Amino acid sequence: MPTNPSSSAAAVWAVLRKECLSEWRTRYGLNAALLFAITSLAAVSFSIGRLGDRSDVLAGLLWIVLLFAALASLAHAFVREVEGRTLTMLRLVAAPTAIAIGKLLFNFLFLALIEVVTVPLFLMLMGAPAPRWGSFLALLALGSVGLAIASTVVGAIISQTRGRGALFAGTSFPLLLPVVAAAVSGTRAQWNGGSVDAELRLLAAYAVALLAMSLLLYDHLWED
Amino acid sequence: MSATAAMVSPESVVLEAREVLHRYGPRVGLERVSFRAAAPGVVAIRGANGSGKSTLLRILAGLLRPTEGETALAVDGAETKRSDRSRWIGYAAPDLAFYSELTAAENLRFAAESRGMERPDEAVRQALERVHLESRGDDRVTALSSGMVQRLRLAFALLHRPPVLLMDEPGSFLDEEGRGAWVGLVQAQRRERLIVIATNEEREWTLADESVELRGRGLGRPA
Repeated sequence: MPTNPSSSAAAVWAVLRKECLSEWRTRYGLNAALLFAITSLAAVSFSIGRLGDRSDVLAGLLWIVLLFAALASLAHAFVREVEGRTLTMLRLVAAPTAIAIGKLLFNFLFLALIEVVTVPLFLMLMGAPAPRWGSFLALLALGSVGLAIASTVVGAIISQTRGRGALFAGTSFPLLLPVVAAAVSGTRAQWNGGSVDAELRLLAAYAVALLAMSLLLYDHLWED
Repeated sequence: MSATAAMVSPESVVLEAREVLHRYGPRVGLERVSFRAAAPGVVAIRGANGSGKSTLLRILAGLLRPTEGETALAVDGAETKRSDRSRWIGYAAPDLAFYSELTAAENLRFAAESRGMERPDEAVRQALERVHLESRGDDRVTALSSGMVQRLRLAFALLHRPPVLLMDEPGSFLDEEGRGAWVGLVQAQRRERLIVIATNEEREWTLADESVELRGRGLGRPA
């Protein structure tokens, strides 16, 4: 059977479609992440109440909820390949980089879906002031890209280890911290009427650096 | 890509193992072995349980880096990159598992699309027909028996029509009809491809033109 020249792009697309179909059929991570995000949001809301004028606390709480939703779910993309013993098949049909990019895109979409539910609920329950939507959505998008890239590469690294859960949280935290710090700072600034350009630049640069580093790693991660 | 698997003439494919040895920690999983096999034809890899038949197949498939020695797959006189080897090789082994939440056809379609094949649906249909699994293509993998999963492994290996087929215990879990179909398949493909079978089953290794005996006595000895 002939193969076409754009097989890398085809492999990325096939991995992304397979991830979406598998997640849709099993709800392996979606239910857990949504449940985690909503319960933690409800717990924060009941314990602290509405924080309309406290943009510093609001920004921190929003990204903590998103960070832990990511930690609770994004490692699954690789872990379930190991648990289902499907890594051999995956390695036979696609290059490591194509697999990683497909899974990274899936993790980003997954996080975006979590945010579609969580962020409006957060703004409503916490009585947050209306955000400046352009800046706010740009921060959410770039912050999510950073979370997705870091979670994907750490998920790939820890997938074949024992004690993956604790290892994932511990290993990914240093990589995720700059993303969360910049996103919190930017989110606070947009509520206070300040500029978010510096934070957006930092998030974009960090995402590019992290992506470049992770693409260099993927080829060496799945050697037996 | 300069050439596709289907365009390669069988005479232009050579698979070679040079002084290959593999250790799992302190244990020797595969004693030193060398062989050279050219397509078309059938080669049997034989040896006691634990002598390293599956390990050798994983190394040949590019899934495992040997502790010592090297393997080579030459196509049209040029050695292929190890990372690119799966393009030229079809692999069916007990460690090959499928996505249980997807159907048999969806698993094969994912493989065909990932390999960048044109007309993936047609390739999937033909692969399922070759192993007589077309009537169960729309069943999820969890609904398939062990024998049907084994047929799916064979379909997976044949899907992209590679010039080299690596098969580890291919008759496992197959009933008489399945074994008959598999033997028929080998007979039909042996003039087109290089088929490497790791087996201790007499019915399987007697199909081979030549055999490679692994010297390991099983269970591995400490290095």
